[in-house]
Amino acid sequence: MADLLFYVLGGVTLGTAALTVLSRNAVNSAMFFLLSLLATAGLFVLLDAYLLAALLVLVYAGAVVALFLFIIMLLDMQGGVRPPFTRATIAAAVAATGLLTVAVLGFVKRAQLSVAPVSPDLPVVGASLKAYAAQLFTTYLLPVQVVGFLLLIAMLGVIVLSKRVEGLEDIK
Amino acid sequence: MNLSLLQSAAADNRWADLFPELPLALLALFLLVLEIVLPKRQHRSIPVVAILGQVALLVALLVNLRGGMTEQLTFNGLLRHSPTGQFFRVLFLVTSLLVSILGVVSLARQRMPRVEFFHIVMVVAAAMMLLVQSHHFVMFFVALETVTVGFYILVSYFRTNPLSLEAGLKYLVMGALSSAILLFGIVLLYGAVGNPALAPSGIAAGAMDFASVRQFLLAHPDNFLAQLGIVLVLSGVAFKIGAVPFQIWVPDVYQGAPTPVTAFLAVGSKAAGFGALVVLAGVFAPCKSLVIPVLSVMAGATILFGNLAALTQYNVKRLIALSGVSHAGYLLIGVIAAYYDPAALSGVYFYLIAYLVASFAVFGVMTHVCGENEADQELEHYADLAQTHPFLALVLVIGLGSLAGIPPLAGFIGKLMIFLAAFSAGLYVLLGIAVLGVMISIYYYFGWIKAACFSAWRLPTPAGEAVPSLPRTPVAWPARITLGTLAVASVVLGLWQGPIIGWLLAR
Repeated sequence: MADLLFYVLGGVTLGTAALTVLSRNAVNSAMFFLLSLLATAGLFVLLDAYLLAALLVLVYAGAVVALFLFIIMLLDMQGGVRPPFTRATIAAAVAATGLLTVAVLGFVKRAQLSVAPVSPDLPVVGASLKAYAAQLFTTYLLPVQVVGFLLLIAMLGVIVLSKRVEGLEDIK
Repeated sequence: MNLSLLQSAAADNRWADLFPELPLALLALFLLVLEIVLPKRQHRSIPVVAILGQVALLVALLVNLRGGMTEQLTFNGLLRHSPTGQFFRVLFLVTSLLVSILGVVSLARQRMPRVEFFHIVMVVAAAMMLLVQSHHFVMFFVALETVTVGFYILVSYFRTNPLSLEAGLKYLVMGALSSAILLFGIVLLYGAVGNPALAPSGIAAGAMDFASVRQFLLAHPDNFLAQLGIVLVLSGVAFKIGAVPFQIWVPDVYQGAPTPVTAFLAVGSKAAGFGALVVLAGVFAPCKSLVIPVLSVMAGATILFGNLAALTQYNVKRLIALSGVSHAGYLLIGVIAAYYDPAALSGVYFYLIAYLVASFAVFGVMTHVCGENEADQELEHYADLAQTHPFLALVLVIGLGSLAGIPPLAGFIGKLMIFLAAFSAGLYVLLGIAVLGVMISIYYYFGWIKAACFSAWRLPTPAGEAVPSLPRTPVAWPARITLGTLAVASVVLGLWQGPIIGWLLAR
């Protein structure tokens, strides 16, 4: 049952990811991206990583895709006409596809993906919010603080780059 | 979980050992507080506070240099303090101090908000210090992202200039791509190291810990997943140091960014990348047979590409960007040679010192020889510099000479140390490429010197055309002292390396 679910969710993830790139309408792309994320969250649930699944849905599906849709709406993007591919693009695409095929084949053949059966009593830190929080505020306290600074400078950056300043002529 | 349990778990979080990272970040926060508290007409004093604060921190760090030298793991193995880490702390603090001084000169021509610039520079410098001392992939990635996000903002800081915004966008896209590659590599390594079926006995720390990654690689040097992870992680770091084939963003971003930020990218970001690369090279040492060819190809291609591409440039910012690419190549040779003889790292560190001193001398002059549009700095703008501003011209000549590696200057000693290490390691092909690269570089460095010093060789202005006015900013005394010190340091470090080299070699 879980195996079947894995293949279904994996197939949905890959298919919708491909449609995200291929669809001509930006809104459709964003919606397929959303579906792809939801299927990925399903994969996390299969791995017992409930917290990660919830965060993925909340942050990406909830916030990021909504932001995409806002921007698409504000810029009023239609599908438009795609210019035909140039010769150089086609050559580069063929070369890249070949390299990727070789890489994936090598990966499948040589990666030792066999895994010993995991004992069910192995602690899964990411599964419960409590265990996760305890780790964050003890072992990983320093990275959490650094991320705080990261968010601070990101916010300052938004203010500096977008705030109206007196006497500053912005480019249109 | 009760309080005492929490306390014991957090006992290893020794914040006092984070000197000067923590005070630097607090100083950065203090600047923002000052901006709120002080009345508007006193805002001009905030950059002074930033610079004096960093000078005080630098003095405190140098006085207490021995204190941070003991090798120890803190923060539950997230950080590893070492003499090398202490060296990089001094390097990054000096870098952020010099960037702040240049920032004052450059921001005076703009109507941009000022305080945020110094705040971000200091936070980024603190994050760089944490990056080179990280001993765990979580810490590594968080510190690296803080540095990168800071640079996104700094690069596009002069938002009235379309080139600055374009550079910021390009850096954002390329930075996001490189972060994705790096993260994918980290995930593959984590998957391989964390696999219970392959775990060698005695891995105590988690699968993200550098020590356990190294232990795993010692047990399974030919694990394909781990090898793929190593190549991807090295690619992510190569983006930061601007090594071929990940150099594509360098010229445009360096040109568009404000000049002090270009200096920060060239010196700080590159040194941080090399600090991280040296740490990772140690972690990946069991896979030498994979890492050495990858880095060797990169180093050779980087030196040739950087020097050949710089030959054709007339914009000095693009020129210095592409020559910076070639310097990354020389440094890579030092990192490779360190696999044969660890003493080669002393060459890398000395090269970084020489590169810092010489680059900031050149960037200091560039900050003064340009107008409001900082992306527009051509070789022509340097005409008659020696006649009108002999001090700037002298500093420029010394800085460029040191970058080119002309004998009595510091850059020569740095190159000599790396070339000697490469020779004793038997890297003859790379050594040949490097010597060729240095010869090519002399052409474009001296082209710049020629433009600044020898007016007789200039093309005459066509009759009837007005002589274009050359942008110049008068040199105030703090900048004069800074530039003078840098020029003198370039000469002194070339003739007498003093205790620095003894310390570097003794480790």
